[in-house]
Amino acid sequence: MRLWWLTLGGLALVLALIPACSPRKITPAPARKPVVYTTNYPLAYFAERIAGDAADVRFPAPPGVDPAYWEPETSVIEAYQQADLVLLNGAGYEKWVERATLAASRLVNTSAAFEADYIPLKDAVTHSHGPEGQHTHAGFAFTTWLDPHLAQRQAEAIREALMRLMPERAADFEENLRALAADLAGLDRELKRITAGGRPLLASHPVYQYLERRYGLDLVSFHWEPDQMPAPGEWRRLERLLKRRPARLMLWEAEPLEEVRNRLAGYGVVVVVFDACANRPAQGDFLTVMRENLARLERALAD
Amino acid sequence: MRDLLHLAWRYLAYHRAKTVVLVLSIALILYVPIGLRVLVRQARAELASRAASTPLILGAKGSPLELVLKVLYAGRQDPPLMRYGEAERVAKSGLAQAIPLYIRYRAQGDPIIGTTLDYFAFRGLRIAEGRQMTRLGDCVAGAEVARRRGLRPQDAVVSSAENLFDVGGAYPLKMRLTGILAPTGTPDDRVIFADLKTTWVIEGLAHGHQDLSRPEAAAGVLARKGANVIGNASVVEYNEVTDDNIASFHFHGDPAAYPITAVIALPRDEKAATLLMGRYEGAAAAHQILRPIEVIEDLLRTVLAVEKFVVAALALVGATTLATATLVFLLSLRLRRREMETLVKLGASRGRIAALVASEIAGVVGAAAVLAALFTWATAAAGANLLRRFLIE
Repeated sequence: MRLWWLTLGGLALVLALIPACSPRKITPAPARKPVVYTTNYPLAYFAERIAGDAADVRFPAPPGVDPAYWEPETSVIEAYQQADLVLLNGAGYEKWVERATLAASRLVNTSAAFEADYIPLKDAVTHSHGPEGQHTHAGFAFTTWLDPHLAQRQAEAIREALMRLMPERAADFEENLRALAADLAGLDRELKRITAGGRPLLASHPVYQYLERRYGLDLVSFHWEPDQMPAPGEWRRLERLLKRRPARLMLWEAEPLEEVRNRLAGYGVVVVVFDACANRPAQGDFLTVMRENLARLERALAD
Repeated sequence: MRDLLHLAWRYLAYHRAKTVVLVLSIALILYVPIGLRVLVRQARAELASRAASTPLILGAKGSPLELVLKVLYAGRQDPPLMRYGEAERVAKSGLAQAIPLYIRYRAQGDPIIGTTLDYFAFRGLRIAEGRQMTRLGDCVAGAEVARRRGLRPQDAVVSSAENLFDVGGAYPLKMRLTGILAPTGTPDDRVIFADLKTTWVIEGLAHGHQDLSRPEAAAGVLARKGANVIGNASVVEYNEVTDDNIASFHFHGDPAAYPITAVIALPRDEKAATLLMGRYEGAAAAHQILRPIEVIEDLLRTVLAVEKFVVAALALVGATTLATATLVFLLSLRLRRREMETLVKLGASRGRIAALVASEIAGVVGAAAVLAALFTWATAAAGANLLRRFLIE
């Protein structure tokens, strides 16, 4: 009887030890997605479209902030430092990058291929120290993505950077870029059609230079902020200008103050919001915002 | 046996001057070739490992050794400078990753290395305390610098004025220490790292001051030429980067023309390395591209050749010293004849007397050996510092 119990106990012990001795099934750790940071929303949108689910694309600027004048906090810069790739707009867009410490090898200037085509800023004030001193840089217009053709070239630069990071996904990136390029080409065709009339236009701010060059717009820019009433001198400048150039439309990055809209209406100038979409929109995406811009512009030009 | 050792010890102690001279002479004869060998081996190990881990160095034409020692050890000799644009050119070539280095300024004697974050990844440098630098004016300290100077994150590190009497030279910049690096046992422990752009701020190529286009800055304006405002000498530049003034920091001129000391190039593969090296070949080239290990091996070959001569000379000196020591012993035996005769009369056999003399000799040689071992140990411990002082600085 005792022997029987001993045998049973031994068998139970062996059975209990079998799972412990059998080779453990190792679950592979999920591969970490490369993290891509961008310095404005259009780049984030292009990267999201091209990378699909292959990368984690992040654009950390808070809503309502113009990324061109954004000064990220230390913790945000640290996050950029950890990124596998940092996509820059270039043309002097992200001024904070000049003053931040980032890994140069992970920075990609998406507009580097057309540096020679940057538009120098008009009326930019430079300075030097002493008559022989070197000047500061006058700077360039930086809303390159408003020209769909340049936006596509930036998207191509993103595709190249992603391919270097994940060569095994090259075919996916190529296919995704084709789809994005088709959308951008659609915008380009629409803009060409809508702006074909060549009517004189005004702009509240000098942000449409690349749009102006691409479509041969007759555009004069002011330095008016949507949330501020322009100074009396600015209104007098508008009056003088309208006498020479009977413009009937003024492009604004955002909805201006009601009194500004009404006063412009008094001069026969209609406000058209053409959002540069530098920051992530509350609703929709880059493409829907651009299509809404085109729809508003077309309606205003048709009236 | 104990009586013999006691007698030998008493004899050596009584003739202490003679004993000390003998011990020191023999110790030095033993130590010098061994110590030299230890030092040379350390030099080979230290120099070769650092050099081997650095694939290519690009710099302006000049002494290859000076350039390599500057890049690997932040030595005091300044090789000719090159333009930052060349680093961009290497990066754009796609053949190699380019890590620019500007090693010119110091903070209380410790070198400041201006570079990018890629250097940290390349050398495997890790922040042990605090955080990585994030902006202009930030710096991180190597472990040894921090320990020696008692630095902690958030302390200030002030760059040294390049020349006290040069009013147009680089002014000190008060930098914010954001982190301390984990010790690596390499020269990186003994330097302060800053962003390359921060070293350009120290140089005065980038700076911050009041916006000269603003009406309130009128006192600082010398003249206006078209769209350019010319500032006068009264414009006060900030000597510290703070949250309030950082946005005012800007660069003058073209950064591609800014100076750097060298570029560490990390080629994609061997073919890319060969292609890159080919670009800088030819006597007319303004730059030189080097494989540091080859330069260091050249140096080591010279050191080894010198070592062989020194060892041969020491062998000759050693033989002479040993002959002299033998003579001293033999002569002392003659002088000690009466002492030996007394021992015989006291009943000591010839064998016991021989054992006594042998004990004395063993005592002297043993003490010399221990002293030589101590010297060698001290050399091994201080070898790194000695190397740095004689070979690098």
